[in-house]
Amino acid sequence: MRSNKKFGLAAAVLAGALSLTACNAGAGSSASPEAQQDSVTVALTGEPVNLDFTTTAGAAIPQALMSNVYEGLVEIDQEGKIQPLLAESWELSDDRKTYTFKLREGAKFSNGEPFTAEDVKFSIERVQSDEWVSSLKSKMDVVDAVNVLSDTEVEVVLKQPSNAWLFDMGTLVGAMFDPSGVDDLANTAIGTGPYTIEAWNRGQSIELAARDDYWGEKPGVETATLRYFADAVATTNALQSGDVDVVYNMQAPELLSSFESNDKFQVLEGTSNGEIVLSMNNKEAPFDDVRVRQAVMHAIDRQAVVDTAWNGYGTVVGGPVPPTDPYFEDLNDVYPYDPAKAKELLKEAGAENLDITFTVPTRPYATAVSEIVVSQLAEVGINAKIESAEFPAVWLDQVFTKHDYQMSVVLAVESRDVLAMFNNPDYYLGYDNSKIKDAAAKADASDEAGYAAGMKDVVRTIVDDAAADVLFIFPNIVVADAKVTGIPANSVTEALDLTNIGWK
Amino acid sequence: MTTQPAAVVRSTRRRPAPTLLIGAALVLLVVLAALISFVWTPYDPVQAAPADRLQGSSAAHLMGTDRYGRDVFSGILYGARITLLVGLVAVGIALLIGTPLGILAGMRGGAVEEVSMRAADILLAFPALLVAIMFGAVFGASTTTAMLAIGIGSIPGFARVARSGTLQVMSTEYVLAAKASSQGAFRIARRHVLPNIAGMVVVQCSVSFAIAVLAEAALSFLGLGTPPPVPSWGRMLQESQQFLGTYPMLAVWPGLAIAVAVLGFNLVGDGLRDKFDPKLNGGR
Repeated sequence: MRSNKKFGLAAAVLAGALSLTACNAGAGSSASPEAQQDSVTVALTGEPVNLDFTTTAGAAIPQALMSNVYEGLVEIDQEGKIQPLLAESWELSDDRKTYTFKLREGAKFSNGEPFTAEDVKFSIERVQSDEWVSSLKSKMDVVDAVNVLSDTEVEVVLKQPSNAWLFDMGTLVGAMFDPSGVDDLANTAIGTGPYTIEAWNRGQSIELAARDDYWGEKPGVETATLRYFADAVATTNALQSGDVDVVYNMQAPELLSSFESNDKFQVLEGTSNGEIVLSMNNKEAPFDDVRVRQAVMHAIDRQAVVDTAWNGYGTVVGGPVPPTDPYFEDLNDVYPYDPAKAKELLKEAGAENLDITFTVPTRPYATAVSEIVVSQLAEVGINAKIESAEFPAVWLDQVFTKHDYQMSVVLAVESRDVLAMFNNPDYYLGYDNSKIKDAAAKADASDEAGYAAGMKDVVRTIVDDAAADVLFIFPNIVVADAKVTGIPANSVTEALDLTNIGWK
Repeated sequence: MTTQPAAVVRSTRRRPAPTLLIGAALVLLVVLAALISFVWTPYDPVQAAPADRLQGSSAAHLMGTDRYGRDVFSGILYGARITLLVGLVAVGIALLIGTPLGILAGMRGGAVEEVSMRAADILLAFPALLVAIMFGAVFGASTTTAMLAIGIGSIPGFARVARSGTLQVMSTEYVLAAKASSQGAFRIARRHVLPNIAGMVVVQCSVSFAIAVLAEAALSFLGLGTPPPVPSWGRMLQESQQFLGTYPMLAVWPGLAIAVAVLGFNLVGDGLRDKFDPKLNGGR
């Protein structure tokens, strides 16, 4: 009998092993042409540490989960506009402080729980609680109270009117959670979105499977796989060999020419929220003198920087606002490339033959940008010595935290981050915000038109003061198989929205 | 050097070996490039000219231009300077520390030998490149730290060569004679040991030089050597990496320059070894 038991156990183990192999075989066969129409593989660099963006920083987590697994009341579309998602519609009171959302009926979390007004209250209040430790949680500070009116109606009362708040509700802080689904956020993601996490092979990929009980339109493919690579060269190699179908947010534009000339591939250049910021320490000499900063603005030919450092990909806008923001304005005419003017300003400031240190983080874009910047500064008599700082550790410590630098360059990726960068004198840029503080508060509290107009004035002031030189808006480069459709080329929030991706 | 002809190992070869000639020619090429760069380069090697970027070879730009429109030929000429400087200083450090240490160990023996040679072994256990990377991480990337690190990493080689040479010399009759006539240790080292191991040490210099050139290129490639924008062959190679598919010549030029320098010093080293090595010459 005993030996029989043993045999039974062995058989069970064997059967289990066999069924596992069968599963693997099934997954492997998805590479065949017909099956390919049902799945898509996207190559990314930088894998999430875990699945919990409420406690862990880093863009990789919301990139994979927002819009796909988690949804908010609203979403930000490709043009940067706010669109309804889990809220069908909303009304704003006359004092612009109370939003009343009408929720979509029939939406369900992937654990089977229905999505109701209680979940909205739970999710917003959770951001305000200690459960969230992300620095982004301050975006919810403006909320005074959340009142459940009925199962499908919820009222959010703000402390003061805020235009930024509704936009933020379309980003990760607005993600809707189910009270019974937040126990193990680091490993399990339960949301109302069109996908669930089917498998996570750490160090390799995240597999998303389309839900049968999704409230909205079914996504274009049954399975979407996010595969993580070490660098840009590896991603393009994988695309060329057919291992992946899409390379998203590609970081090596020099590699693109071979794809551009090949009909089997498509190259999309979208915008992103990322600004390449040439920072000048506003609090330290010599850049505490506005004329010296303005001289730098005139000394640098931003279009030439894009052309040489980033192969012509990227948008030169002359200010710290990407084109998808409501208060965007082309400010290229404020500081045209004019070395003579730059020299004049330096002379006025008594800063001729200036020696400065240029702290460059060890990122591809930064090293590429630094060499052309140094060359152009040399032409107006600013001798910049490059000192490389390991990124992120050394750079964050030395420049971002200790403000121990004169000039640096970094990619600022947060959405609508103008005020975060310039409306805070303790930020590493050290910009004196006394001129914009009140104007910014007033703009946020006024109506939409007033918000855009007010913020434009704020941005104008920042640019006039030459607080920092935004060299260009970082492109979101996508290279993909020519037959893939519905790729969100613009990266407006952190999310990589996979719902519309399909095959021709 | 040959103040004591009787004590110097004679070479039986009259004509220099072809490897030595070729090596010398390649080294000369690098030295010339470096010297020329002091008085003339076609363009300023750090001056960007965005309008002329990524051009192929032409009369105006002999080796084309890079992504910033900088003249590659000017960069190669200027880069020779960095290469030679790093090689000279690194080998100099190793020579000046390693050789006396080796002679001391060889002549004294006993505890002195044990300690200094084990120290050299320990240093040898760390590849020179690893030492250099550590230096770069601690003191920041610069040409100076690269030179120091490569130099320190090359000390054990010199110490070992000097010691083994010294041991051989110490057992010869003329040294015994010198000892018998109660000459001081320092005098023996200077008049008998040094001239006799000079050949070996010169060979070691040449080989170490080649290694130093390669190490500097590797460090710059990793971003731990000469900081931009000063042209360095290793970094030029690294910057051309992304253009391999589209502008392969950008990588070929600095690669060729590094190859020429390394091959040159290695061949010189080999040639000199053939010349000095008594076994290969059928001498004693």
